[in-house]
Amino acid sequence: MGTVQIRDVHKSYGPVEVLHGVSINIEDGEFVALVGPSGCGKSTLLRMIAGLEDISGGDIRIGDRVVNNIAPKDRDIAMVFQNYALYPHKNVRENMGFALRQRRVPRAEIDERVNDAARILGLEHLLERKPRALSGGQRQRVAMGRAIVRNPTVFLFDEPLSNLDAKLRVQMRSEIKELHQRLKTTTVYVTHDQIEAMTLADRVVVMNSGVIEQEGPPLELYDKPASLFVAAFIGSPPMNFLEGNLQNGTVLHLDDGTRLNLPVGDRKQRSRVTIGIRPEHFTVAPSGWPATVSVVEPTGSETQITARFAGHVVRVLSRGRTSVRPSDTIHLAFDQGHLHFFDPAPVPEVAKMEDVA
Amino acid sequence: MSTVVTPAPQRLRRSLGHKLRIAGGIVVSIVFLFPIYWMVLTSFKDQVDIFTNPPTFFFTPTIAAYVEYMTRADIVPRLINTIIVASGSGLLSIVVGTMAGYALARIRLRGAATIGLLILLSRGVPPIALAVPMFLVARKLGLTDKHITLILAYSTFLVPYVMWLMRSFFLSLPRELEESAMIDGCSRYGAFFKIIVPISLPGLLSTLIFSMILAWEELLFALVLTNRHASTIPVAIAGIAGDTVNGANWAALTAVGTITVVPVVVFALLVQKWLIKGLAEGATKG
Repeated sequence: MGTVQIRDVHKSYGPVEVLHGVSINIEDGEFVALVGPSGCGKSTLLRMIAGLEDISGGDIRIGDRVVNNIAPKDRDIAMVFQNYALYPHKNVRENMGFALRQRRVPRAEIDERVNDAARILGLEHLLERKPRALSGGQRQRVAMGRAIVRNPTVFLFDEPLSNLDAKLRVQMRSEIKELHQRLKTTTVYVTHDQIEAMTLADRVVVMNSGVIEQEGPPLELYDKPASLFVAAFIGSPPMNFLEGNLQNGTVLHLDDGTRLNLPVGDRKQRSRVTIGIRPEHFTVAPSGWPATVSVVEPTGSETQITARFAGHVVRVLSRGRTSVRPSDTIHLAFDQGHLHFFDPAPVPEVAKMEDVA
Repeated sequence: MSTVVTPAPQRLRRSLGHKLRIAGGIVVSIVFLFPIYWMVLTSFKDQVDIFTNPPTFFFTPTIAAYVEYMTRADIVPRLINTIIVASGSGLLSIVVGTMAGYALARIRLRGAATIGLLILLSRGVPPIALAVPMFLVARKLGLTDKHITLILAYSTFLVPYVMWLMRSFFLSLPRELEESAMIDGCSRYGAFFKIIVPISLPGLLSTLIFSMILAWEELLFALVLTNRHASTIPVAIAGIAGDTVNGANWAALTAVGTITVVPVVVFALLVQKWLIKGLAEGATKG
């Protein structure tokens, strides 16, 4: 049974606590992505599942065993590291077979399993090479091969694609997804790239400063972010935020004096509020509010427009093409059905970064 | 005069710089190698040629000094002693120092930095200050004039040396290598011996060679701690140089000196591929 249960796990380094009680239940065969900005504790949590870090509080179960005090080698897990950690003095075949040799698996069976894994990953012609004679993508595949040869209960991935160039990353991403669909091994995948998390995982866990902000299926996080942080972190280009005073729950006074009528009210009835609008929920329409275009970025299938609107910089994503040019005035309306309401708070840095990854 | 600037003089200047660097290298090499050259030369002279003034480069070579000293009872056993002590202390230090260096580099240990620093500081004590206490301890334990005594004494400075060299080498290796091995089924020891040691082999070997050379030529401890049974070649050389009865026999002195240096040079030439690889490795890893 490849379940992983993380119950109220804490991690401290001396007086500094970096994980403040994290609980996640991972089903057998599930693909869970831990995502968050650097320093949020996602890698620490993964390393605790692997047994490479001590658990300061709470417990972790793999299957029906509490593994808190079990050595990494006895946890029946396989891990793929960001830098691959291939053994430089061993060739690809020996790298992939190393774990099985440690377990004294008969030679013939090792060969068979290594060959199988090599076939799945297209590494057959590289088996006799040393890691230094491989390209980045090939090394990445060998690292995955080393993991799947083991046929472990759980796969752990620690930012496995971060060292690859953009194109290869997209390719390996779909290979990992395909591999998971084929092997159905429980997988925990750590990444700072929300696109990777969204595209790969059955369930995404967004972490921030050592706590879980929200967890759920990727599109649920996208459609119903529980916090400003999640709203800002998930989605690229990121969500736009406008802060103002709410009157009668339906009229938003922005700080520059602009008044927006919101037919959809805020159920919490607060006076000061931040509303979030995804770039694709803006539309250019004559009935909208005036905005000044500053940048137009066409990608072919869609166009991203950056504009100044009521003292804010907003990003608008429109399907198809447009004749709008910088410094034009356009009128923006937004899809009233897709407004998000949050308590006012500084917009997290993550949302200000252009296209994380 | 030099108003005409063409690419040609530039190339000339560049190749001039190159020539200057080579010339500098040659000068430095001569400065370093001349004493050795002079030692070898002197060892083939007879007493008369040694003391001619100005010194002569042309003479009838003789191997009298070699024959005389190699046939004397004490040189060959001392050579053997030196081999035993140098390899013994080299091997002991490489084993202990490597493991200590690994521990300092990797194990999360409160005060590890302080421990490492203290061990390094022990190298700052002048050996002569340690020689007498060491002799007293050895005498108390009945260990004077034994190979093991010298091996242990040399380890006091070789272990810190190996430890610090290997520590920085291990720090340059990614931690994930051992972590991966530990997930693949190794204990910490297994990861060290099956993954880290094989990867570090060139570095280990060059460190071992340097340690053995240091032990090979050590004089002070050998002089204080041994008498005749475990005495080494450098002691013999010092004995010849300080012979107050017959006066210094320069031919003999240089002959024994040459015999001492030759094995080191041959050894270094044999393993120089490894040496260079080991020295370069640390910088290029990662």
